[in-house]
Amino acid sequence: MYQCKDITEEVNNYIEGGLPLGKRIGLFAHFLMCSCCRNYLQQIRSTISVITVSQPKEQDSTDLKVLAKQLHDMSDQHDH
Amino acid sequence: MIKKTSTSQFEDEQALIKKLIAGDQAAFEYLVSQYHNIMLSVARAIVGEAFADEVVQEAWISSIKALPKFEGRSKLKTWLLHIVSNGAKSRVRRENRMVSLDEGWESIPADRFDSKGHRLDNVTPWEEATPEALLANDQLQVIIEETFQKLPALQRAALTMYDMEGFTMDEICNILDVSTSNVRVLLHRARTTLHHSIEKYQDNK
Repeated sequence: MYQCKDITEEVNNYIEGGLPLGKRIGLFAHFLMCSCCRNYLQQIRSTISVITVSQPKEQDSTDLKVLAKQLHDMSDQHDH
Repeated sequence: MIKKTSTSQFEDEQALIKKLIAGDQAAFEYLVSQYHNIMLSVARAIVGEAFADEVVQEAWISSIKALPKFEGRSKLKTWLLHIVSNGAKSRVRRENRMVSLDEGWESIPADRFDSKGHRLDNVTPWEEATPEALLANDQLQVIIEETFQKLPALQRAALTMYDMEGFTMDEICNILDVSTSNVRVLLHRARTTLHHSIEKYQDNK
């Protein structure tokens, strides 16, 4: 019998389908009985959607325009 | 800073590559704006912050030199990430550096559960369920950015590649040189940490 704690540990594997069938069925049975864990599953799904939409980036101070110019100039020299 | 545009004359990869080989300056700007950040993410995940910039710089130079030989058997993005990954792995071997999978991980506090593993807190649905509604508030976007920056580099890279860039588990394993189960662990930890931040924001509204 799976408990709420198991759900928090396996929720992402449950979403990604990375669990053996028996465990998947066991967790599914827990979701049927527990509204807190159903809400938690929904919150994790929303979190993934938020990440996908918000697209946070690495902090980086590189001047990309300068880098692009350096690579362009280098390729020019490489060709001639 | 070059603005990343989603609709662009360079979205056709073959056209982009032809323009790069022809020396089109705008094509170089597009290439760098699209891929520099994720290359940096992969380098930081493998070799760490200290050497990442140098590894990415070297990877760019190798890529541009090798571009005329690019056969298009993989996506350009995947090809670039393999180049940066190989460079980072060589650097790791030289520096004898190991990045820990457990770096910066805090699981859900045990006091949220009773001795049998039942939840003690009441989880309620979020008021705004869609990402667009959640992100309508600028404050949340800032919270997500800040939480993301604090994640360990390996978690950031796995999250970026899987949830934002659509790489498969196998591609991520090859590029980051970790097992599938480790990628799953990294994703779980990154998502759980971001969920905590959104949850706190929801509770404090």
